[in-house]
Amino acid sequence: MSAENDPPGMTRRQLMRHGAWFGAAVVLTVAGGEVISHVAGSAGAAQQSTRPALRFAQISDSHIGFNGPANPNVTDTFNHAIGQINSLGYTPDFVIHTGDLTHLATPGQFDQVKQMLTGLNTPRVFTVPGEHDSTDDAGQKYRQAFGAGTRGDGWYSFDIAGVHLIGLVNTLNMQKLGHLGADQLEFIEKDVAGLSSDTPIVVFSHIPLFAMYPDWGWGTDDATQALSYLKRFSSVTCLNGHVHQVFSKTEGNVTFYSGTTTAYPLPAPGQGPAPKPVTLPAGKLREALGVREVSYTKGQQALALKDQKLA
Amino acid sequence: MKIVNLTLRIAIGASLAASGVVHAYLYIHGYRDIPTVGSAFLLQGSVFCALAVLILAGGPGWLQLVAAIGAMGSLVAFALSRTVGLFGFAETGWQPSPYAAITVVAEVLTLLLVGTTALRQRPRASKDDVDVRRRSSSVEMPR
Repeated sequence: MSAENDPPGMTRRQLMRHGAWFGAAVVLTVAGGEVISHVAGSAGAAQQSTRPALRFAQISDSHIGFNGPANPNVTDTFNHAIGQINSLGYTPDFVIHTGDLTHLATPGQFDQVKQMLTGLNTPRVFTVPGEHDSTDDAGQKYRQAFGAGTRGDGWYSFDIAGVHLIGLVNTLNMQKLGHLGADQLEFIEKDVAGLSSDTPIVVFSHIPLFAMYPDWGWGTDDATQALSYLKRFSSVTCLNGHVHQVFSKTEGNVTFYSGTTTAYPLPAPGQGPAPKPVTLPAGKLREALGVREVSYTKGQQALALKDQKLA
Repeated sequence: MKIVNLTLRIAIGASLAASGVVHAYLYIHGYRDIPTVGSAFLLQGSVFCALAVLILAGGPGWLQLVAAIGAMGSLVAFALSRTVGLFGFAETGWQPSPYAAITVVAEVLTLLLVGTTALRQRPRASKDDVDVRRRSSSVEMPR
């Protein structure tokens, strides 16, 4: 597109000229990258200099009681996850477990997971049930163990540092997809009615509130109704478990973040006939497991998330 | 002719800069926390800004080819993030607004402008070939 007078082939001079342009491209790219990183770093540092108003950790899908080649020792990996949260360098305001605490919802498994959660260095632990926690009794044993202070079938809300947090139950009365039900939808509508639109909202659920992969039941059939009540808020963050992998999606004012597991990985959406536990090569399991840090700084619209692999 | 070429070059530079600056802005304002996708935004921003500067400075044609490939790659990544997901990251429609729309328009423009430049220069290159052949044949036959 230039070099109109160049003879066919490339002379040494032309080669040097092109080499110089290539060098300039590399230098400018690196310099540009440095500048952008520096600006981002200063923005981050400015953000960090103000202590976040809220810091919490998410842990999910511990499946205590699972025994299979995908993870022969889920208790050990869950203990590691708890240790990792205790080593964050600060005390999180609370820890949320987004469901499937147990694998088969037996009283013994609930006792074990409850006991293990007391090892977390945090003032409060919140939970939402997964479908594995309500396999045979519509969540009764779950509510006996973790339902104190909740409403309806185990849903609740609370406020910390100006952030309104809602824990939802979408694993009861479900067919293929998650389901909230009329009572819970009414609860959400009334719960947020009195809040000002600039209140940051955080929603916890086990099954995603967005259609991550409906063929595998990775979605909630009446989530649209629930999200319509949250439409007027400037910042809505939905955190879920269930899919055993990190995934994020933004829809308007709502950002959805699926968290990973402490037990075993599941395939990516559509990869394979069904979401069955994936057995990874030796030494690779912990890379697929992890915990998540979430923080909110006043004045920032969005919450900051940091996913950590299991060490 | 020269003015048209210069205009095309400026337009390509501007479209690249628009896409690069928006990606850099999104990187600074939150996207850097997204695994893999965040680094890709940083790379896209710095490469596109560098290409914009060099093309405006009158760099060789292959820079425009690289720009077109980059723009095509960015558009494919955009489409993936709206359909099957990209490295576990997915977004809907034109979110974040208006940045998604700005980058798509800028990248489509880059492709169109580079295509136009290539088409405009093709006949001229063949004319040069004829000139070169004519010159070489006159050297071979001095009699």
